Amino acid sequence: MSTNEHVRWTRNRREFLTDAFCGMGLLGAAALEAQGAKFNPLAAKQPHHAAKAKRMIFLFMAGGPSQMETFDPKPLLNELHGQKRPAEFGEAKYQFVAKDAKLLGTKRTFQKYGQSGIEVSDLFPHTAQQVDKLAILRSCHGDMVVHSAAQYQMMTGRIIPGFPSMGSWMVYGLGNEADNLPAYCVLPDPDGALEAGQPMYMHGFLPAVYQPTMMRPGKRPVLNLDLPAGVEIEERSKTVKYIKALNRAAMNGEDTELEARIAAYDLAFKMQMEAPEIFDIRKEDAKTLEMYGVGKEPTDDYGRRCLLARRLVEKGVRVVTVVSGGGPGNLQWDAHDDIEENHLRMAAQTDQPVAALLKDLEQRGMLEDTLVFWGGEFGRSPESQGSKGRDHHNLGFTMWMAGGGVKGGMVHGATDAIGLRAIEKPAHFRDVHTTLLHLMGLNQHALSYMHLGRKERLTEIEGSVIKEILA
Amino acid sequence: MIRQALILLQVFTLTAETVAPLGKYSAAERRHWAFQPLKPGEGGIDAMVEARLKKAGLAKSAPASKQVLVRRLYFDLTGLPPTPAEVAAFVNDKRPDAWAKLVDQLLGSPHYGERWGQHWLDVARFAETDGFEYDTHRQDAFRYRDYVIRAFQNDKPYDRFVMEQLAGDELAPEELETLIASGFNRLGPLRKNAGNQEVASSRNEVLTEMTNAVGAAFLGVTVGCARCHDHKFDPIRQSDYYRMQAYFAGTLEHDFPLSPAGDLKSWEAKIKPIDAEIKRLQGQMKLLGESDKGPIAQKIEALEKSKPPAPPTVYTVKSDMEKASPVHLLARGDYSAKGDAVGMRPLGVLLPEGAPELGKTDKPRLELAKWVVAKDNPLTARVMVNRIWNYHFGQGIVVTPNDFGRMGGRPSHPEILDFLAKEFMESGWSMKHVHRLILNSQTWRQASDTVNALAQEKDPENKLLWKWSRRRLEAEEIRDAMLAVAGNLNPKQFGPSVMVPIDAELVSALYKPTQWQVHPDPAEHRRRSVYLIYKRNLHLPMMEVFDAPDALVSCPRRETSTHAPQALELMNGAFANQQAAALAERLETLAKGNKTRMVNEGYRLVAGRLPSAAERKLALEMLAQVRTREFALALYNLNGFLYVD
Repeated sequence: MSTNEHVRWTRNRREFLTDAFCGMGLLGAAALEAQGAKFNPLAAKQPHHAAKAKRMIFLFMAGGPSQMETFDPKPLLNELHGQKRPAEFGEAKYQFVAKDAKLLGTKRTFQKYGQSGIEVSDLFPHTAQQVDKLAILRSCHGDMVVHSAAQYQMMTGRIIPGFPSMGSWMVYGLGNEADNLPAYCVLPDPDGALEAGQPMYMHGFLPAVYQPTMMRPGKRPVLNLDLPAGVEIEERSKTVKYIKALNRAAMNGEDTELEARIAAYDLAFKMQMEAPEIFDIRKEDAKTLEMYGVGKEPTDDYGRRCLLARRLVEKGVRVVTVVSGGGPGNLQWDAHDDIEENHLRMAAQTDQPVAALLKDLEQRGMLEDTLVFWGGEFGRSPESQGSKGRDHHNLGFTMWMAGGGVKGGMVHGATDAIGLRAIEKPAHFRDVHTTLLHLMGLNQHALSYMHLGRKERLTEIEGSVIKEILA
Repeated sequence: MIRQALILLQVFTLTAETVAPLGKYSAAERRHWAFQPLKPGEGGIDAMVEARLKKAGLAKSAPASKQVLVRRLYFDLTGLPPTPAEVAAFVNDKRPDAWAKLVDQLLGSPHYGERWGQHWLDVARFAETDGFEYDTHRQDAFRYRDYVIRAFQNDKPYDRFVMEQLAGDELAPEELETLIASGFNRLGPLRKNAGNQEVASSRNEVLTEMTNAVGAAFLGVTVGCARCHDHKFDPIRQSDYYRMQAYFAGTLEHDFPLSPAGDLKSWEAKIKPIDAEIKRLQGQMKLLGESDKGPIAQKIEALEKSKPPAPPTVYTVKSDMEKASPVHLLARGDYSAKGDAVGMRPLGVLLPEGAPELGKTDKPRLELAKWVVAKDNPLTARVMVNRIWNYHFGQGIVVTPNDFGRMGGRPSHPEILDFLAKEFMESGWSMKHVHRLILNSQTWRQASDTVNALAQEKDPENKLLWKWSRRRLEAEEIRDAMLAVAGNLNPKQFGPSVMVPIDAELVSALYKPTQWQVHPDPAEHRRRSVYLIYKRNLHLPMMEVFDAPDALVSCPRRETSTHAPQALELMNGAFANQQAAALAERLETLAKGNKTRMVNEGYRLVAGRLPSAAERKLALEMLAQVRTREFALALYNLNGFLYVD
């Protein structure tokens, strides 16, 4: 693996050199001896066990999409509409709705799709066509019913901030296959931030090298990747050349740490030169843009970001998180007021892009080694909030996985007849995390880091691999 | 069969309202080195270090040059580089006690408190916002930061420093300083949420956070693991954990007003109608479609902004034992799975067998604090001198400063650790005394660039201290030093924290972007990093890429990672380029048209030395091809700037 890595790296550098615009000839032959992969702390590493998935795209449906309106049809819920929850379903604690709230039926209709004949709601006509690729986990559950704590648990395994996100853990375990792009990218929704904020995506106590790169909307997706105003590339490439030469001139014999610093300048400059081109989705053909819904509403934004995610993983980025939802609750999947209005709108923004991503990855032969993971920090309550909204709900909800190592066209686990509680093969976040790690070739115990006297890992309490969904 | 019986027994003990046994600790458990009384070595630091080196067949390094040492010492004690004049003054000081004098001089510098205060703020998980979704600003939290800086500045006896932070409100409830200090207990992140309140579980989170912080910061034990089960590796029982927590059971948030009651009333009177109006508008907004909400949202924002700032308060705690949450063992740490009731008691392994719980008291934390700083508690002094050693050498005698348990590191030089602990207590817990012992040693003054193949092979991590380990500047030092060499540093001390201009992309990533209110006076933006706001959900990029802690839990030792985004920040970041422009101007003035002089002055400013012939040649070559500001930017990117030798 490391040899291939090196070869690929060298070739890229040569291509890089011949690009006249970059003016890279200025870097000179000596600088090219630079240490590259050898001193790159993010150089790709061997997984713990052989695995199909090399990278992950997490389609994060922030705010909590409803299980009853998407992938978990509950005919009984419609029958019980307007009644109190029958006692046999047990208790649940919600953030807002009171104990005596009434059950709310759904207006969605479900239909069987694909060879698997799995039922998907009419919210997702495009994704439904891809259902044979999905392993739908209907029995997910978490511990928290408020956004911030649930988002932390989904991303980091803990209900409090300060722990590394699964993206950081994966990069810690596997490194990066790209040397001109960040290892772990987060593409937030331009509508705004989420409740748990930045800490949920972060590296926690892991070294800063494992932190995510936030790719923000607008002209400068990545901070510091563009030259400062009034500086031309010709001049700056000379500056970089001399920074390295001056640092080398001060070195006293072999010094791996300082070599790593010099290599970081090579990597930084390479990233600066090559990444913007990868970020530029205009390089895609019209057919692809159309497939993702780019250039039309309401899919343009999420379509662009899903397409960008594909471009990134194609170049070897290890983890990309594409967030749907941001800013005030109703601009997320957080349908307190009106489940219909909210979910129709959110689904219309994301359905076509998500389906396009699956198709596109398949067409490029990348689906087999790219893990795609879809879901939110919780689902929604079978009871109504107000007359037509749904509250948060953490005891049973749906997420799905597809691609690298995942058996498609299957349903795993089940909630009870009103979608209140995961009753069959329940999958806690820690089981979901363990499974994601496993699919990426990582073992929950081996992937650990000493912190404050404790061997920390993504799964605080041991999780189980959901074996049934492994291909 | 037995297993089943055990489970039944467990279920029984967890449901019955019983009192937890006092616990037994085996001789083996009590034997762990950190729980033993001090066994100080003799002969001083140098003799003890040399004896260990000799045993390993190694020798110490030659002393570093005066030029190297002066820069090392300035950064160590003040977090700032020496000016070229300060370097020259020391290099030319031929008095035999020049070094000791410089150590004393810098220990007296106001910047010493800022630098060493920052270390303690890391340990205290200091930040000025709640974290979680609201990340509400604690506008009075800065007083704790100022308290810490002053405490270091004035060499407040460490036992007093501990008592004030743990229990200042109980020690002297009318004294502002002690009240501010006990804000320590409230520094952690705090989850608040709308809707159905989970009072018991939230309270449990708060108590857990407090207990863990105290264990890590003062005792160097990770009690946190024992929250869910008996500690796997250390003799800390689950009952020990909850007995520690019991000291905090009556601890409540307390905002002590600094202004007369009348001011508070009139502020409340001003706020009330504004809040009512906001509530009315919010109600109105709920009825509108998404597209019509904009103007009302703007009105609400304007109203929020129009609120007068809350009158100053002290962000602190108080104990009210009447309202104390009853403390029980919790199965797996789950507050709904209550087991035996427990009362207050320090860690059992450090007490005689069968030591009873503490009875009723109005001042529980003060009782705990007295035990923490008791002279026969072997942990407290050891933990603090190890922290001091860690910051001077880049690595502690125990490499895990927050964990002296069995999972932590074994001390590399237990005799030195105990010698310093004894000196520390006998000097009246003077931190400056410990600094002097360390900084005046030959060990600390060794060169860092020693080439010693044998030592490198036998002791690559330099545990035996055969040289001084070069270190990279920390995030705050990098920013502060850039300001200093550009001639831009505003040395103003203390006061409310400053928000500096940052990339709009970062502000828009906040859940509430209006929280980021840039200080109107640009001079404030050039203050030392310790005076910039520490917001849990938004860190400055410079801090983020250079391993500043996230302030969510106690950070005993910073990572030093090396990666490409650091290079991008220092080459393309707005701050780096502004400071490069300022440094360029300074260099132009100093050079008076002479490029060689410019190169020399540049190196003296950023690296505390003249360039070598090879460096000078390269630098002149560079200056022939690029503008001075690019050269200035390159200076900030030199290892000679970013590292201390």
